[in-house]
Amino acid sequence: MEQTTILQMHEVNKTFDKVKALDNVEFELKSNEILGLLGGNGAGKTTLMNVLYGLYKMDSGSIILNGKPITIPSPKDAIAHGIGMVHQHFLQINNYTVLDNIILGTSVSRPWTADRKKEKAAIEELCKRFGLEIDLDAYIETLPLGVRQKVEILKALYRGVNILILDEPTTNLIPQEVDALFETLKIMVKEGLSIVFITHKLREVLHICDRISVLREGKNVVSLTRKDATDEMLVRAMVGEGMDLQKSVIFSESSKRVVTTKKETVLQLENVSLVNADKINVLSDISFEIGAGEILGVAGVAGNGQRDLAEVVMGIQTATSGTIKFLNEDITHSSTKENISRGFVYIPEDRLADGFLHKASVAYNLILGYHNLPPYSNKGIVNWKNVNAASREMIKKFTIKTTGPDDAGGNLSGGNIQRVMIARAFSQSSKLMVAHNPTRGLDIPSMDFVYKNIFEHAETGMATLLLSEDLDELLLISNRIAVMYRGKIVGILPREKFDKYAIGRMMSGYDQESK
Amino acid sequence: MTQIKKSLPYIIAVVGAFIAAGIFIAAIQYNPFEAYKTLITTSFRTPNGFIQTLMKWVPLTLTALAFTVPLSSGKYNIGAEGQFLAGAIGATTVGILLADLPPALLIPLVIIAGIITGALWGLISAWLLYQFNINEILSTVLLNFISFQLVDYVATGPWRDPSAGAPTTIAIGQNGYLPMLIKNPPLSIGVILMILVAIGIYFYTNKTTSGYELVATGANPRAAKVHGIDTRKMFLLSMVIGAAAAGLAGAMEVSGVQHRLIEGIHSNFATLGLIIGLISRGKNQAVPFVAFFIAVLEVGASAMQRTMMIPSQVVLIVEALIVIFILLSDLIKRRQK
Repeated sequence: MEQTTILQMHEVNKTFDKVKALDNVEFELKSNEILGLLGGNGAGKTTLMNVLYGLYKMDSGSIILNGKPITIPSPKDAIAHGIGMVHQHFLQINNYTVLDNIILGTSVSRPWTADRKKEKAAIEELCKRFGLEIDLDAYIETLPLGVRQKVEILKALYRGVNILILDEPTTNLIPQEVDALFETLKIMVKEGLSIVFITHKLREVLHICDRISVLREGKNVVSLTRKDATDEMLVRAMVGEGMDLQKSVIFSESSKRVVTTKKETVLQLENVSLVNADKINVLSDISFEIGAGEILGVAGVAGNGQRDLAEVVMGIQTATSGTIKFLNEDITHSSTKENISRGFVYIPEDRLADGFLHKASVAYNLILGYHNLPPYSNKGIVNWKNVNAASREMIKKFTIKTTGPDDAGGNLSGGNIQRVMIARAFSQSSKLMVAHNPTRGLDIPSMDFVYKNIFEHAETGMATLLLSEDLDELLLISNRIAVMYRGKIVGILPREKFDKYAIGRMMSGYDQESK
Repeated sequence: MTQIKKSLPYIIAVVGAFIAAGIFIAAIQYNPFEAYKTLITTSFRTPNGFIQTLMKWVPLTLTALAFTVPLSSGKYNIGAEGQFLAGAIGATTVGILLADLPPALLIPLVIIAGIITGALWGLISAWLLYQFNINEILSTVLLNFISFQLVDYVATGPWRDPSAGAPTTIAIGQNGYLPMLIKNPPLSIGVILMILVAIGIYFYTNKTTSGYELVATGANPRAAKVHGIDTRKMFLLSMVIGAAAAGLAGAMEVSGVQHRLIEGIHSNFATLGLIIGLISRGKNQAVPFVAFFIAVLEVGASAMQRTMMIPSQVVLIVEALIVIFILLSDLIKRRQK
């Protein structure tokens, strides 16, 4: 098939505050192709596509569609030009049906009645054409994320787009759903659409994309077809020259570390259950143990009780029944403060709400939770000299972009807030780390840095409870993986039995319901 | 350089407020320049003016701290008035009942009684918040009204001074009067106590781990809780500390200035304290300085009214405009982001 260029973006520049998010970026999309837009967090992928979708206004640059220069001041204009986008977070109305969500905001044939037969037929036709199986009369709130994503794709298709942008579409999907999504994408391309696939996952790009364009720190690094692309090239393009791949956890086989010798048990949960304020069983009958130096990964689709599990272990919530033991001591009813002094550290999932003090300085943030311990304080008096010295050290070691310990927390970006939480967690010689999505928002070298730090601390005997929505991350560094579904642990797999699809099945509750 | 840049919005707010109020003064046919000259210089021209300013400075700083200390933990204490009066009642009660004690005992007892009753008055709201999560703004405001009635009850009850026109109690024992720094015009050691309290609060919030927890709670209570800080305790503690400061102000007004409980003894201190707290943007260490500035204006206002017949309410306009302009500058800063 002869491929022609349908869309070009020239010399696109975009600056946020003082940060150059896009620096003279070039972008080209051909007809009937899946283009992989690859890069780490903060590379500018989403920003570039948000410009194309009319959500951001570029500082300078031009957009040429089918040979004609156009401007896109709003998403409405983007759709009028046939450009649609599916974001990571869906904008859907929970108590509406799929059908209503799809036609919302479009003109319907019979606006004065509730008769939507014609629209429904049109959408059913689309479903059939693109292999998207959806019950159009189902309510959004009852659907799993994978299906809700299909709704979002249908929304764009129904509006007649011929360019579809997908922002990290595989993030919350289990492997089976990812495969199904890829099938749909292939059909769409055959039907004449062009797709931009934003991702930071190398394997997906090599699997599905026809052409790959890599961004790093807001600049084009390389664009090439899949035939010409190798793992090594893309990795290098994504991470830059500064990173030693041989020593990295993510890319080098030899750096992977598997602890097999099981020493003492650090954390032990026995039949732990939690009923929340709404009388809902958010955790039921959870039992597992983590040995010294071991990393126990917890997989699960977001919202299956991972956060409650983390909080029960940390003592932020108290288990309704069951026992939690730390080094054989019953800590079920211990406060967070007591647990912190036992050597617990916590990297919470929701960094904005649970992990960070916006209205306080960076130094305040870096010692939060450990402010009662030396060298930060002595007999109730804070030693600011030590705090500032330690803060400066952490800022340097964890490359936090800030003017110094006195900088206001509110000045930090999301990735830097994550770094503060990481720095805080690793500043202690801890016995148990509870880390919930610890690498969210970090670029690849920083992710690698986090893994190395976890390994280093594990070497000294730290047990890790790693809750993550990133299955690749879990597969990469866990010794065992426990899978959570609706507040239960549905299975724990040792490393030699790791299997993406088996875990995916467990995550979707398939095994559970067939029993 | 950054200091200048940081304080620029404040300077603009103050200057802007004076200009806006000046237009108003000119509109009611007075000379704004003359008016401002009186307003600013009265406090510094005569010893009497300066001492009057210091006397106002004491309760203004303390009632402002009663607002800003709870604010450090994110709670709004609007009840400085009631806590001030509770402190005044406590001090008067001890001062009358134990009038015969020697000064070395009675003075500390009077002051401590004021601090404790003020703190207890604040503790009611704090406990309601701690135990039942009842909004502290509502409870502190409502307790103000109760305190007015309490003052009325005490000042018209058995301790009533029949020779006074307005509801007033008899004087507390002379041994309970705060010692004077200067006899004439009279200035008690209250100003020193106030400065010590302000320094103490600064030390507490900025140098102690408990103060750290207070600030962390105010910055993000959820994150503070997740990291082991008992935030409900911090709410309670900060409310009580603030209330104790207001109670101390009430006690010193009785023991150092009026020597008795008078209806209306709270003047407009609490309202001005709120304004001072807002101008300080809740920063405890800025409060004494802002309070001094407001005290200067207040003293100048009475002089302005006396000598030039300009209504002293003009000063309230200036003060309110400063607050509005400072809040406005916050808004503009946020917009620029």
